[in-house]
Amino acid sequence: MENKVVMITGASKGLGRALTLAFAKEGARLAICARSSENLLRVKEEAVGLGAEVLAVTADISKSRDVERFVAMTEEAYGRIDVLINNASILGPSPMPLLLDYPEEDFAEVLRVNAVSAFLVTRRVIPGMLERNVGSIINVTSEAGHTGFAGWGAYGISKFAVEGLTQTWADELSETNVRVNMVDPGEMDTDMHQLAVPDCDYPLAKPEDVVNVFLYLASDKASGINGQRFAAQSEEV
Amino acid sequence: MTATKALDFYLPDELNASHPPEKRGLRRDHVRMMVLDRTTGEITHDRFFHLDKYLESGDLVILNNSRTIPAVLHAEWLRNTVQLAPEVEVRLARRRSEDIWDALIVANPVKTGDIFHLSPELSATVIGEKENSPLKHIQFTKKGTELFNVIYALGEPVRYEYIDQPWNLDYYQTVFASRPGSVEMPSAGRAFSWELLFKLMRMDIKVDFIQLHTGLSYFLDDQWIQTPEDNEEEYHISDRTMARIIETKASGKRVIAVGTTVVRALETAAINGALSGVTNLYIDQQFPLKIADGIITGLHEPKASHLDMLSAFVSERHLLRAYNQAIDTGYLWHEFGDMNLII
Repeated sequence: MENKVVMITGASKGLGRALTLAFAKEGARLAICARSSENLLRVKEEAVGLGAEVLAVTADISKSRDVERFVAMTEEAYGRIDVLINNASILGPSPMPLLLDYPEEDFAEVLRVNAVSAFLVTRRVIPGMLERNVGSIINVTSEAGHTGFAGWGAYGISKFAVEGLTQTWADELSETNVRVNMVDPGEMDTDMHQLAVPDCDYPLAKPEDVVNVFLYLASDKASGINGQRFAAQSEEV
Repeated sequence: MTATKALDFYLPDELNASHPPEKRGLRRDHVRMMVLDRTTGEITHDRFFHLDKYLESGDLVILNNSRTIPAVLHAEWLRNTVQLAPEVEVRLARRRSEDIWDALIVANPVKTGDIFHLSPELSATVIGEKENSPLKHIQFTKKGTELFNVIYALGEPVRYEYIDQPWNLDYYQTVFASRPGSVEMPSAGRAFSWELLFKLMRMDIKVDFIQLHTGLSYFLDDQWIQTPEDNEEEYHISDRTMARIIETKASGKRVIAVGTTVVRALETAAINGALSGVTNLYIDQQFPLKIADGIITGLHEPKASHLDMLSAFVSERHLLRAYNQAIDTGYLWHEFGDMNLII
């Protein structure tokens, strides 16, 4: 991972923070973003403390203008992007209402932030990867993006979109060395999980426990792996 | 002295493309393409996505991967802490260093020492002016990625007078651009889609990239006509790309330059051997092209210096005849318009 340029969206907390620190330890050069700057800068300081070079940009990547700004700054700073992790997502209203009860604007907002942003960032980053004919894109999905569960609302549906995005893009890129895969990290002890399952009474993994599959997919060891879905907490990984 | 004997013709207003193809119900790669034979002057009318019909296995297509930045900014104009205007336009023209740009400031008369407040966090000071040009050298209070951050947050793309709607920056990008720095879109590549590029690659037509950041081409005042020699542009060609070019030429295949920027960069390198640098090369009818065997370009305005460059590929007589036919058959001009392959 030494000197690879790794871009991570939604890096201010939870899995995004854990990934940032894990890649920092591996010697990656990082470009991270989040909507609010306070936590993001804290994560940046932590990663810098581990010896990493970090570009931290406050950006709302569901907006095309912010995507352009974030990626252009990264290209300007590092000249290229080797790995993109589309991690940013929101849960929507908590506790999650049934779709039957779901407010229209919240539904649209969750889809926009979780699915449209992954499209916008990926479309913007891929050309540089194609030019060098190498690159790894990792989308973060969820069990709720694979099977429809009552009560997982717009979040689950947005993750279905992310899974479709992953498969379609992987197929479009199948003749190239740019690969697109997805990881279901499983349930983790994060702020988002607290919103999703407010009274959780079962043990949860730490975000730090699931980073290995991301490190693997980002590495050259995973070249040739494209369009696959990985479950970070299941037996087969 | 150059650019004095320029090709002239009458271009009706309705042939200025004011909308991107996607806003005219057309995919970007479905715009029209006029194919002009360099030797015979024969003209064929087609659609751009049929480009592969005119290329052969082993040919090398070179694209400019420079990405358009939002170069139009607005600022409060101050001199000795006195406000001269609440808002004037500052049009970035060319980057000189991490924090210094050449800029066209749409206000008069701007003097060295004047200060422009672009936002609470960014201002610029005029530190000099470019000779024989309305451009000023301005120094920002931020540099590098921090400067980019504010420019991207505030800026809008350069839009010319035939554009009547504020199309956002995304419409001013080619699908393959990944090196931010052009003030105006290197528009010859705009009609390419990845679908078309993948098709070419499958046919063993090679695709490669160089980088040339375009500068501001028009100074909003006909008093200032910028010749190619005045317009210095920064270019970069990788060793690998040059090796592929040499290989292509050696095997008798053709190098197709996408856009006048690519011709300029390649022919500069052919003359001075430098793969990176600044070019002000002027190419006209007399210029012996050493690398480019063909060009893909848009349609250029009457008297544009780009037309001089095209006459290095094909005789002026054939070019003028083709342009007249393009006008008669309603081709569209400028960055959102139709394409011309000269091969």
